[in-house]
Amino acid sequence: MDETTLSVRTAAVRVHGLSRRYGSTRALDGVDLTLERGITGLLGPNGAGKTTLLSVLATVSEPDGGQVSAFGLDPADGAERVEIRRRLGYLPQELGYHRHFTVAAFLDYVAILKEITDRRRRAEEVARVLAVTGLEDRARARIRTLSGGMRQRLGIAQALLGGPELLILDEPTAGLDPEQRLRFRELLSGLAGDPVIVLSTHQADDIAAICPKVVVLLRGQVHFAGTPAELAVTAAGRVWGADERDPHAHLSWRGGDSRWRHIGDEVPDGAELVTPTVEDGYLLLSHAAGAR
Amino acid sequence: MSPETEERDDVVLLRAVARGDEESLAVLYDRHAGWLTIRMTRRCALPDVVDHAVQDTFLALWREAGAYRGTGDVAAFIWGIGIRRLIDAIRRESGPRRRLLWRPAEPETVISAEDEVLAGIEHGRLGQALAGLSPELRGALEATVLDGLTCAEAAVLLGVAEGTVKSRCHRARVALRAALAGEQAGSGTTAYRREVWGAS
Amino acid sequence: MTNSSPGPAEPVAGADGHPGEDLLASYAAGRAGTVDAWSVEAHLPGCARCRAALSAYADAERLARNRSVLLTRAAIGDGGRARRVLRRCGIPDYVLGLLAAAPSLRRSWLLSVVGVLAVVAAEAVAVRYGWIEAGRPSHLGGYPGPGTLAPFVMVAPLLVLAGVAVAFLPMFDPACRLAVAAPFSGFTLLLVRSVSALAAALIPVVAAAFFLPGPGWLPVALLLPSLALSAFALAVATVLDPRTAAVAAAILWLVPVLLLTTSTARGPLLIVQPDAQFVCAAVLCACAVVLYLRHDRFEWGWMR
Repeated sequence: MDETTLSVRTAAVRVHGLSRRYGSTRALDGVDLTLERGITGLLGPNGAGKTTLLSVLATVSEPDGGQVSAFGLDPADGAERVEIRRRLGYLPQELGYHRHFTVAAFLDYVAILKEITDRRRRAEEVARVLAVTGLEDRARARIRTLSGGMRQRLGIAQALLGGPELLILDEPTAGLDPEQRLRFRELLSGLAGDPVIVLSTHQADDIAAICPKVVVLLRGQVHFAGTPAELAVTAAGRVWGADERDPHAHLSWRGGDSRWRHIGDEVPDGAELVTPTVEDGYLLLSHAAGAR
Repeated sequence: MSPETEERDDVVLLRAVARGDEESLAVLYDRHAGWLTIRMTRRCALPDVVDHAVQDTFLALWREAGAYRGTGDVAAFIWGIGIRRLIDAIRRESGPRRRLLWRPAEPETVISAEDEVLAGIEHGRLGQALAGLSPELRGALEATVLDGLTCAEAAVLLGVAEGTVKSRCHRARVALRAALAGEQAGSGTTAYRREVWGAS
Repeated sequence: MTNSSPGPAEPVAGADGHPGEDLLASYAAGRAGTVDAWSVEAHLPGCARCRAALSAYADAERLARNRSVLLTRAAIGDGGRARRVLRRCGIPDYVLGLLAAAPSLRRSWLLSVVGVLAVVAAEAVAVRYGWIEAGRPSHLGGYPGPGTLAPFVMVAPLLVLAGVAVAFLPMFDPACRLAVAAPFSGFTLLLVRSVSALAAALIPVVAAAFFLPGPGWLPVALLLPSLALSAFALAVATVLDPRTAAVAAAILWLVPVLLLTTSTARGPLLIVQPDAQFVCAAVLCACAVVLYLRHDRFEWGWMR
């Protein structure tokens, strides 16, 4: 397991030995992690425990073991948990909306939940997030009439209410087309106040494009923590191209240029090595974890 | 766009707002919020109170556009709503901030006879009579006559008791009559006076 | 700011009856003397051109900011007449905002409650007046037999319980994860929703009870059992998970009532007895205490 190369001193969120079970499944199995200001991507396949981890960080789920510390606060203590929640913005994976709500009314409701009791302050805050996410024109639209991409934007908007210091986004780019994903990246990079942002995805190209830091989660354990470039480098010398399929490779697929791309430990002599991508590093790790 | 067209347009917009058309509200805002803000600022020194009052005015318009009877300008209608929203906003302020609200009237320049001729001010005599009043009396007159407020509303705006407003208005009128009466011989101001001050 | 010497005349009206640019500028800056200011203001309502000219002096950024807040407030809306009335009664606006999301205050839910009550009450009325064959003793001591009232007495408190359950069960709140992850006190949220659900459910129940051919105090007699049942469910929810609590409460009500109906002749009318009312009151108080002592469970609870 790779240790994080980041300085622990600047860490805003620290997780140690975190574990959580659902029945007989170990969703999280001894996770150690530090998160600091800026965007960290959480990469892993479905069922790896990403949602569980984010849910624990968002103080929604209670861990079975281990410690969590966010801004020096411990969610195990009730009063400190509420204090963490005051600095939190959370977009769950399946965000439900009350069917009858309009965009503005829903944001108003979430703003109340975030303890903005003054009506005028609420309207100002809702206006602010509508502007940031580009939803001003749809303020009066009913949520059920919004497209998937708009709903994701609404989800991000509600997470941004109150200017959180810790932003937890569970699969925010799922179902978005490339143009929407670009807009999402612009949105995130334009956020004021430099919060700690964690977002989960199972697509490596999101990581490569958005996140300066990445954590790979497989089967409830952290298998990598570092920069995307470092993740790519872990596959150095183990990715090669060929005109035909190679049975020794762990993974092979045919690219758009009709050439085969292979990833594996047994590189044939004289093979044409190619520069590994973030995805290659991830796939190699994933395969290794599966083989264990 | 000629002024008449824009006036008609405003009425059309107002009717659209009464039907719930949000875009018309936005257009009305773009047209009227500027002068409304400036005019309100002349009465209340605190910018955020004015901001709240401006927002409340257009929100009230959003809800009560149907109350417009089609008489008088839309702008006057908006001001009528606006000044009352400003008073409500002032009422909501409490304590130390309240005392800062009323903007002291600007000191008057004395207009010399020559300047008056040069400038062709029609209301020269009235202007001089008004200039002779103290700022408090002028403030009371402005609130009750120009803004059309009741004494109770004027009291909130000026930050004084209602009785004080009444007595100031009375004193102002007495002083004005005296000042203008001194000009009676050969002055053409009588008609103008009646026009401005009505039956008082 | 002070102009003690008579300088050149104040910027004045132009020849065509409109204020000149200088006058407008000085008015916008707050430098115009009273008389000039009054003449500008008297002129404004009638002249769109000068209004537009004056507006040019306003701070564009400030106008834009107010515009977006205004349009947002218009979009959020004020919640309708009911909410406006309640606000005037002194209920804080954010409480009303929370209720906007409450499923048990939705028209559809309330209509179904009323519908169920109507059916049950109609059945009781029909049996009483002999329109339907009851197959049970239909008169007993001057009152309609227990059989006629049994369905109503059984169902009415359950409907109230159902309304409260809908208010606090996470499965009925699509945005429950957001509510948990938010700092707003979970207990306050629960209370707001439960109390409003109680009120919303009790009104049709009591009203329907008035139409029933039963003892005169039946409507009032239903209050305590309904409240006790709901309080019980909430109190148990601090120990077990909410869904189990709601189901347990429902069963603990249904089973005794069914047993009483089938075994005793007086059956459901027992509820009207002072003893039964006292028991309900005791349960209500006990559960209220438990709820108060264990409110932490909701205050900063986890989700299961």
